[in-house]
Amino acid sequence: MAEVHAEMVGSVLEVVVAEGDVVGGNDVLIILESMKMEIPVVTEEPGVVSKIEVAEGDVVQEGDLIAVIDHV
Amino acid sequence: MTVLDNRAAATEAGTGETRDPRDPRTRLEILFDEGTLRLLAPADLSGVLTGVGRVEGTPVVAFASDPRIQGGAMGADGCEHIVHAYDTAVRERVPIVGLWHSGGARLAEGVESLHSVGRVFAAMTRASGVVPQISVVFGPAAGGAAYGPALTDLVILSEQGRIFVTGPDVVRSVTGEEVTMARLGGPEPHSRRSGVVHVVTPGDDEAFAVARRLSVLLGHQGRVRPGDVAEVDFSPLLPENPRRAYDVHPLVDGVLDEPGVELHPKWAPNIVTVLGRIGGRTVGVLANNPMRLGGCLDATSAEKAARFVRMCDAFGVPLVVVVDVPGYLPGVGQEWDGVVRRGAKLLHAFAEATVPRITLVTRKAYGGAYVAMNSRSLGATRVFAWPTAEVAVMGAVAAVRVLHRRTLAAAPEEERAALEASLAAEHEKVAGGLDRAIELGVVDEIVMPEKTRGAIARVLAQTTPARGAHGNIPL
Repeated sequence: MAEVHAEMVGSVLEVVVAEGDVVGGNDVLIILESMKMEIPVVTEEPGVVSKIEVAEGDVVQEGDLIAVIDHV
Repeated sequence: MTVLDNRAAATEAGTGETRDPRDPRTRLEILFDEGTLRLLAPADLSGVLTGVGRVEGTPVVAFASDPRIQGGAMGADGCEHIVHAYDTAVRERVPIVGLWHSGGARLAEGVESLHSVGRVFAAMTRASGVVPQISVVFGPAAGGAAYGPALTDLVILSEQGRIFVTGPDVVRSVTGEEVTMARLGGPEPHSRRSGVVHVVTPGDDEAFAVARRLSVLLGHQGRVRPGDVAEVDFSPLLPENPRRAYDVHPLVDGVLDEPGVELHPKWAPNIVTVLGRIGGRTVGVLANNPMRLGGCLDATSAEKAARFVRMCDAFGVPLVVVVDVPGYLPGVGQEWDGVVRRGAKLLHAFAEATVPRITLVTRKAYGGAYVAMNSRSLGATRVFAWPTAEVAVMGAVAAVRVLHRRTLAAAPEEERAALEASLAAEHEKVAGGLDRAIELGVVDEIVMPEKTRGAIARVLAQTTPARGAHGNIPL
């Protein structure tokens, strides 16, 4: 299991995956808007998205939990 | 001593499979080209073996701890060997590689061993910026054996390597905390958190391979042959949406002849630092990585970049700086982390550097971060910009919102957006934009993505080699 946390403060522009989705390594989970940029938040390793903790429009702080990935 | 020598000879005579992988002689033999190892002193009970040899033909000095003797602990005799190896490397002006597997200073020798370990530190510091120093850590490197590698230019950690000041037993007895050696000082903490280690490898073979590559990159830098530099069209690497972040690694790999050795890949990943070659010549590449923290500079990345710039400058390695930076990361966390003090290190490092240093602005170069990323004002040799580049204090819209706050507030709401857009266009003409940057001389030339490699290689070929006269303090 791997937790994906926000690296920086920002607002959630788009949630790209849904709970239950199978993801590879380096797949985009959500797109964060920060510093007037659209920054994809990606997986490190493949797995299944077991939890998405944010919705579009949410403001996240550095360190906030974004998603949980179960490794298969 | 004679007995040990005979034993070493006996094991050496056996087949490759029977060699003890922890034997320092084995390790030195793997590091060097086959048959080139010449010991600087006969094997003894000091726990250290030293030698000279060649790596891809380039002469290199090396020393290795012997973990089979008192856990590789460092006493007066072993330290004397290391100091002698350093004297040899400095005299011959060749890189020195330390192969570490040591519990630290020899307890049984008391203060004498502390004094000796301190003399090793002093030798390393005297050699700093004079000859490249590379450390490979294969097993525990504790106490004095931790600070040894930490004083050198580049630290490679093999999977079983552990670097810490005090081990789990001491931690438990002092703080009551239960912690493993891996959690204290294994690959995970040192690759992501501490910045102690430049490269983590999955095994010893890979660690040797990286040490050999870095030895040659720094020990035999070569000369640029611009004719050998094939062009690559980089434009497909930038997203169509200028606001969209992207991974800068393919761009850095493409600028180099072949992918180089990335240093600190997981620590402060918002800036990428790579040693590689362009047209056959060693260069150091720094690049903002928009994929991480939007490519912003922050306290840690500025410090990482500053140390890299100073190392390259000390060894005469030209720099290529790829800029796409929206600014410094704002926030209380950054200010309290010392983004001002640590960011100043990067300004200092670039401003003092005497090596040829080329800047390439691919997209954004905004604000204080624009200055810090090897701007003309800090002494860049040449500043290129792609046609997509923006050089400004901040984005035009953000700027007019500050500069024309009252005018915008006074305008009727339905006209505000249009007014903002026209003010922004006007502002861009006067204050920002590439034309103005060229007029001011802060950008020398617009270069097309598909002509970039040749442009960089020509500058490298034309500039006079230079080298900073300073050490490389581990910032």
